Amino acid sequence: MPQTDLKPKWHAPRSVEWPLILISLMLSGIGIGLIFSATAPMGEVGRSLVLKQMTWCSLGLVLMALFVLFDYHSLDRWAVWFFAAVVIALVAVWGLGKVTAGSRRWIELGLLRFQPSEFAKLAVVLILAKYYQDAPSIEGRQISDLVKPLLLVGLPIILVLIQPDLGTASLMFLVAVSMVAVAGLNRRALLWAGGALLAIVPVLALVGDKLLLGYQKKRLITFLNPDTDPLGAGYHIIQSQIAIGSGGLFGKGFLQGTQNQLMFLPVNHTDFIFSILAEEWGFVGCAVVLILFGALFLRAMAVADQARDNFGALLVFGCTVILFWHVAINVGMVMGLAPVVGVPLCFLSYGGSALLTSFICIAIMVNVSMRRFSY
Amino acid sequence: MTELPIRDASLAYLRNRIKVAIVIMLLAMGLLAARLWQLQLLRGESFIEMSQGNRVRVVRLPPPRGKIVDSAGHVVAENSPSFTFSIIPGELKDPQRLIRTCSDALGMTPEKLRGLLERSGTIPRFMAFPLKRNMSLEEVSLLKSQVTDLKGVSLEARPRRVYPWEETLCHVAGTLGEISPEALAKGPKLGYQAGDLLGKSGIEKEYETHLKGEEGWEKIEIDAKGRQLGVVSRQAPQPGADVILTVDAEFQRYAEDVFIHRAGSIVAVEPDTGRILAMVSKPGFDLNLFSPSISERQWKALNSDPLHPLENRSTRGLYSPASTFKIVTAAAGLAEDRIDPQHRFSCKGSLDLRGQVFRCWNHYGHGKVGLHRAIVESCDIYFYELGLRLGGDRIARWASHFGLGQPTGIGLPQELPGLLPTSAWKLRTYGEPWKDGETVTLAIGQGYLVSTPVQLAMMTAALANGGKLLKPAIVQKVVSLDGKMIFDHQPLVRSTLPLDRGAFSLLSEAMRDVVSDKRGTGKRCRIPGLNIKAKTGTSQVIRIKERIAEEDRIPYHERTHAIFVAYVDDQPKKFALVVIVEHGGGGGASAAPIARKIIARYYGRPDPGDPSD
Repeated sequence: MPQTDLKPKWHAPRSVEWPLILISLMLSGIGIGLIFSATAPMGEVGRSLVLKQMTWCSLGLVLMALFVLFDYHSLDRWAVWFFAAVVIALVAVWGLGKVTAGSRRWIELGLLRFQPSEFAKLAVVLILAKYYQDAPSIEGRQISDLVKPLLLVGLPIILVLIQPDLGTASLMFLVAVSMVAVAGLNRRALLWAGGALLAIVPVLALVGDKLLLGYQKKRLITFLNPDTDPLGAGYHIIQSQIAIGSGGLFGKGFLQGTQNQLMFLPVNHTDFIFSILAEEWGFVGCAVVLILFGALFLRAMAVADQARDNFGALLVFGCTVILFWHVAINVGMVMGLAPVVGVPLCFLSYGGSALLTSFICIAIMVNVSMRRFSY
Repeated sequence: MTELPIRDASLAYLRNRIKVAIVIMLLAMGLLAARLWQLQLLRGESFIEMSQGNRVRVVRLPPPRGKIVDSAGHVVAENSPSFTFSIIPGELKDPQRLIRTCSDALGMTPEKLRGLLERSGTIPRFMAFPLKRNMSLEEVSLLKSQVTDLKGVSLEARPRRVYPWEETLCHVAGTLGEISPEALAKGPKLGYQAGDLLGKSGIEKEYETHLKGEEGWEKIEIDAKGRQLGVVSRQAPQPGADVILTVDAEFQRYAEDVFIHRAGSIVAVEPDTGRILAMVSKPGFDLNLFSPSISERQWKALNSDPLHPLENRSTRGLYSPASTFKIVTAAAGLAEDRIDPQHRFSCKGSLDLRGQVFRCWNHYGHGKVGLHRAIVESCDIYFYELGLRLGGDRIARWASHFGLGQPTGIGLPQELPGLLPTSAWKLRTYGEPWKDGETVTLAIGQGYLVSTPVQLAMMTAALANGGKLLKPAIVQKVVSLDGKMIFDHQPLVRSTLPLDRGAFSLLSEAMRDVVSDKRGTGKRCRIPGLNIKAKTGTSQVIRIKERIAEEDRIPYHERTHAIFVAYVDDQPKKFALVVIVEHGGGGGASAAPIARKIIARYYGRPDPGDPSD
């Protein structure tokens, strides 16, 4: 290509990362089918939920298309502003937030209702990617490179924690830790960090006892022993395991999951969507979805690997771990491997803000991938 | 470009770490798959058994709802056992047999039962479709013998809410209704399920969390045919707490019966404690219509009634306080030193304010009037003049001292704050400055100013107790089943009127003469031996273009509202009340006699009837 090209940032569609887009579309399609099945017993209300999810899905596509148009390097400039805006929104939730099921998470803007904590995950990725891009290091980072970013991301995490949204807060924490880990620490720093983490556990236990709400504590206790409260917190785990287990190899078939049809799982179209998949489509169906997720992560990591700069690589890596931790926690949770903390399964669970965040993650990956030739 | 090698090295380092991360992620995915394999393939059989064959089903045990009891111990709302017979369409295998065997026991013709079964196709097949609600124990035992080996039917005990006092206290007690799908989707943590009843209005709504109780559960072993084999374990439900009102239902019923007009409100209050003694809103409705659920026809009838019987006028009715507000204007004038009580204004029947004419109700004029006579005879001109001296915003500030323009905090759902106009409010709302004409209409309690009956009652109570504006209470106590006191009402003073003793006695004497003077507008409230202090009000609904001699010729909706506030403060038990008769004409004519009857009853005196003169 001649150096005089006036539009160096535009690329032919062949450089678009189609596998990522196709996989995310397939997953959201499967999600809509599952939501249809989960909400079938709710009649009219259920139909409207399916329609809403389809609307969110189309909106996500449009957003994704818009998102790949500009160069991801401009995110570098926007990172701090976006981060600040998210923190302000999280504070504003206290004043303007709608109380839903006992916690303040929503801000209502006319017709739109949005959940700042969803965007807080992206803000964490952006700010850490920005922080670590300019400090190249080959031997690993000092402990001082750890304190500043963790203090920075600690603020939104605490704001989300007091909403209270334990699920999103722990997710943000895991994303932050993953990014710090991939940015690398030297041996000394690693020892310090490990030691600090060990020291913090008893403190967390003490503070947690004061800070966590009754139902959150109950969930953690029942995670260890579900039978203590079969109608309350333990109920979900027991019923969810029965639903998954009874699916067998091929499942009971579409709309045939007796265990799932609202009779046993109250929030099955959101956090327990995987149980429906497992009951109605069996091991085979679950394997297909897990393979799709696995392929998504592999492709995304390949994009991170091919990125031309630290910023791009960290950005893609951060977006990938957001999706990864959602899948790991949610699927682990419904199968009794992780405590019930209310984390949706990306692309599959019902919910607009979460779906949009997932699509934005894909869009960032596609964006970075498209510009891997330009440097 | 010396920087580039470092950059590349750093990028290479990052890439190495990303490769490690890929391995960790794939391992995690593998772990999830392995767990799935374990649950679905290794232990799948046992889970299939759990979900299909002999299994333990967890059944919710709804808690009995707490009672609502009046101050004398009469039960206003309680539960009575009742059963619902439903089918679960997805499990019902033999509808023909159901029709054959059950139509007699259900007291339905086979045709009607068939029709109901057809309609059950419109709901999700896993949900229970009720065929008959409200069944007694006898009906249930007969039915039980018919359906022992029928699959897909269920008999559920669901306590029915009953209201022995029917219409009495209907707006206070409030109604129950089925939880809405929206509320259900929003609050799974609150422990409600589809079909659950919860408070929709009144005390039932406001005290829902106390009345509801905590549900229990029962693990029941069920065989392959869905028949119950036995209870494995059980956690008993926690019954809800009882709510004890400050109102005596018998006194309340008396007040409701005395009110013979079409629509209006009465609020009676104990001035020293803020306890509500009666709260009437007319028209009302029979609470039992709503239990267990109201029919569509009855709902439509109640909902489309132009008199809005479902609305609690005592907390949500907005009325101009009219001349009863002159007490506020007078208090402001005295406290702000804008008038000498002896000073007299001249009333010629009208006041010309830069071309705009404001009339006195007595268009012949009262002549020269001082404060005392102005209150007794309710002279408008006096208060126009006083209002002009005070100014609109100062009057508004005094009205807010008396609690107008803000919710009283009585603790009933959706209480309205009324409206207290100020110059800032006018500018904000209409983009226009405040005018003198608005000051004079505000001074006599007309114009934009509107207030709720409960606000007026608390205003009157403040006069009776020496200036304490109390938070009204309709609930005296909330007591859990084991006798634990969850809430006990203590008088709460919201603010104290900055009025001196002299001003109080001036107002008090004038209000006494409203009743006892032969020219007093409230003389129909006279009871020998009781020192009743009162103020009448006649609130205009539309602008009066011309005076029509006979009240009967005015259409109902254009007639004025009659308002009457009264209190007794020199008896061992003090008493304050407000009576509002919608479109009832003059306050002295139609509202005062109602107040008299209620006061007479409260003090155990015979009703002397209307005075003859």
